Amino acid sequence: MRITTRAVSVALLAPLALAACSSSDPGDGGEGGTTDAGACEPSDGAVELEFTSWIPGIEGVVDVWNEENPDIQVSVQTGPNGNGGTYQNFFNQLEAGNAPDLGQIEYDALPNFRVQDGLENIGVCEDVAAAQDQFVDWTWAQASLGEEGALYGVPQDTGPMAMFYRSDLFEENGIEVPTTWDEFATAAEQVRETGGYITNFSQADINQFAGFVWQANGSWFANDGEAWTVDLDSPESMEVAAYWDDLIERDLVSTYPGWTTEWDNAYNSGEVWSWNSAVWGANSIATGAPDTAGSWSVAPSPQWGEGEQSAGNWGGSTIAVLKGSEHLYEASQFALWLNTSEEALTMLNEEANLYPATTAGLELPVLSEGVEFYGDQAIYDVFAEASTQVSADFVWGPTMTQVYNDVSDGFAGAISGSGTLPEALTAAESSTVAALEAQAIPVAE
Amino acid sequence: MSTTVLDVQARNRARIKVPHKKAIAIFVAPFATLFTLFYLIPIGYAVWQSMLVIEREGTYGEPREVFGGLSQYAQVMDSGPFWESVGRVLLFGVVQVPVMLGLALLFALLLDSPLVKGRRFFRLAFFAPYAVPGVIAAIMWGFLYSPNLSPFKPLTQEVGFLSADLVLWSMANVVTWVYVGYNMLIIYSSLLAIPTEIYEAARLDGASQARIAWAIKIPLVMPAIILTAIFSIIGTLQLLAEPQVFRTFTSAVSSTFTPNLLVYTTSSVPNVSLAAAYSVVLALATFILSFTFLKVTQRKAFQ
Repeated sequence: MRITTRAVSVALLAPLALAACSSSDPGDGGEGGTTDAGACEPSDGAVELEFTSWIPGIEGVVDVWNEENPDIQVSVQTGPNGNGGTYQNFFNQLEAGNAPDLGQIEYDALPNFRVQDGLENIGVCEDVAAAQDQFVDWTWAQASLGEEGALYGVPQDTGPMAMFYRSDLFEENGIEVPTTWDEFATAAEQVRETGGYITNFSQADINQFAGFVWQANGSWFANDGEAWTVDLDSPESMEVAAYWDDLIERDLVSTYPGWTTEWDNAYNSGEVWSWNSAVWGANSIATGAPDTAGSWSVAPSPQWGEGEQSAGNWGGSTIAVLKGSEHLYEASQFALWLNTSEEALTMLNEEANLYPATTAGLELPVLSEGVEFYGDQAIYDVFAEASTQVSADFVWGPTMTQVYNDVSDGFAGAISGSGTLPEALTAAESSTVAALEAQAIPVAE
Repeated sequence: MSTTVLDVQARNRARIKVPHKKAIAIFVAPFATLFTLFYLIPIGYAVWQSMLVIEREGTYGEPREVFGGLSQYAQVMDSGPFWESVGRVLLFGVVQVPVMLGLALLFALLLDSPLVKGRRFFRLAFFAPYAVPGVIAAIMWGFLYSPNLSPFKPLTQEVGFLSADLVLWSMANVVTWVYVGYNMLIIYSSLLAIPTEIYEAARLDGASQARIAWAIKIPLVMPAIILTAIFSIIGTLQLLAEPQVFRTFTSAVSSTFTPNLLVYTTSSVPNVSLAAAYSVVLALATFILSFTFLKVTQRKAFQ
């Protein structure tokens, strides 16, 4: 009989322990809730700031700051990229009231943190407000979330998109580098005949897909201050989905999950020939596919119509001050230095291929040099052009983690043979509206 | 006379009990404190959390948590992905648990039979996989299954172990690999506790080794088998590490593949109230299932 009671108590204990772990409620403000202009004042004496980031080599950049600023010492902690775990950590830390002062947050996640009341408005700091002119227009628009006089993160880098491709393989096989998406589909057939794939469609990289929609001048969300409009199934979005659905259906693109060993291997072994990615992707290829050094080139993204000049954006981050930080002034000083000073921007580019969000940063000497991995091509020229072609009107929704999960699950289903990409978007449209309503966020009919 | 003695004894017992109460309290206190802190309070918090809903004004209004009764539970009941994931792990359990326990029992009986040589070696060999952490085991098998990275490429490129059709059973294989030895050891130690006279009597009656195993050993270790079955049922409903790791190898594992993965996904939205409600429902389902299994099997096993 002893077994009975023991087994039953184990039965009870095990799942509830998990229930307990997962229950932390989103920040409800608390004492440190509201920020007023007076809060952006220098503190007396030395200040220590905590900073969480996933940028490779960020420690070295922070060391430079620490040497120059003995009174504002920053200790940096690195973690997985945002949706890979750091955002979840931030949300948990915000709930527990021990979030770091500064955090790396991508543009697409800012509304999510804002809606959970997790960000300090650093627009109240004079130096920050005065720096607006230094930044590329659309980055400021994304980081202020459309609020006049507000700023929820200092723009750090942008991710204008272009096409990385194996110039050696295209040349050897006599296949022309596509300039429109129609040509891309034709080239995909030719590449498939040689046994390779022209590119990989990663079902989990929904922000890459959003970049494609951005390039097609589509938008997924709108916020008029009263309510959100959710438009995942807009005509542009559906057209892009149908295009990729066709390529997947005909087995013209591979479908490895992104950022995995399988995916690295596909590029490293030359099975996959190109990647429509952001400027920071230059780093991902170099580390993921080291055997292919020197064989890559960069060309502008294929266009939807002949002669058009439009680019999407994938990723790019801001450095935000998280709710509860007691050192708004010092934190914003560091964030400004990190993202506007030439020495920091140069180091960030050399270490992590970050592409500055400031207009002056785009003209850094280091950005006009040829890159060895890309056969000494001056690849940043291509991205500089792309960055001027990014539309400023794309708006991110307040529950992007959920949107990415739901779209990704739908896309994964389509890849495994149940449903299509457009159907996945239609389903995500209704689940997103439901998710917004669950958080009491008003949605326009 | 006898009644007086009993009375005295009863009175003595009652008197002795009083001083013992303090000692009992002291001995129980450490357990009770930890039990309350890390078990009762978290459960209470999770249940409370599951009943909160968020209110706000405007698109970026400050969120306020207010009591919302059972509205999250209504959402759980309506949630397609949740019940799909529950159905998936039940299917998994119905197939995997009997296979695993069958193997565990078979190995235990083999180890216990006098026919087998090298008993210590096999005992260790069968148990070794359990010493491999679950996540590491999943990563290792992920590589073995992979169509491009596996050392058995000719096989894995032909058979889609990581395809939508097979991935659940590929996971079942990993779980079986890890836990067979563990369950075997529980059953084996219960076999060792059977008095040898019983075997002697059986042999005198002319029973073969197979007959002894079937008619004596299995009935006598039934309680241990039931215990391992309950552990396995709970483990199945809580499947998390294997699907989580396999997500990095294949597109076929969605973010709502198992109930626990769905809880994790929901909490990262972050929609913790709904995640708490899922957890509470999952805990209740696990409890009901384990308890029903126990009630059904108990009648036969413990008679």
